[in-house]
Amino acid sequence: MTLTLAQQIGHVGSELTRAHHWEAKQDPLSRDRALLRALELLDATLEDRRWRKRLKELARLREVLCGLFCRDYRYDISLEPLLDYCNPFARKSHG
Amino acid sequence: MRIEIIQSPTPLQELKRLAEENYGDMVKGVVDVQRKILALGGELHADGEALLLEEGSQQEDLWGFNLYPEKPKDERIEFSSLINIRPSQGNTSMTIQDARLKEDAKMIIEGFIKDDG
Repeated sequence: MTLTLAQQIGHVGSELTRAHHWEAKQDPLSRDRALLRALELLDATLEDRRWRKRLKELARLREVLCGLFCRDYRYDISLEPLLDYCNPFARKSHG
Repeated sequence: MRIEIIQSPTPLQELKRLAEENYGDMVKGVVDVQRKILALGGELHADGEALLLEEGSQQEDLWGFNLYPEKPKDERIEFSSLINIRPSQGNTSMTIQDARLKEDAKMIIEGFIKDDG
């Protein structure tokens, strides 16, 4: 994989944007599908050996996304702050 | 992205330059509320956190934030970071849930911003 970290997280953010869209449309199935795609992309990022010294934050992001997918709201975090988290990466990756 | 340890007040213009080098309008930061120092820069908050830990900081004293130097004074600092999620300290959000701790952290950060003019 030759994507930068910003690009990788940017792609995760794109799926979270879709999840947020479907959440607003009250379509839980589509929301969950988008969250699963986000998790798949994030898992690929976690496997990228270039980021092995930065796993802590990436793993925490994964944990939070899993919580949202499972509707386990032990963390007081909705999709909006996660979109705010991902957006700077997306902007940066688009130069 | 370069990370700088900030231990003295820094001109706002310098912080704007730092933001430009990072996310354009924003630079990520980590504040040590005990040692009263900052790490500014880095692609992830965890990068600044790791640097401060290497420099002797304690995990429990470190809180992540985003700095927007171009914004009005009361909108410059945003406490939103994945490293702030710390169940062991009762913080289950990306922000700092303890109002007093949040205010203390904000004051420490503001003390490092030397406004222009």
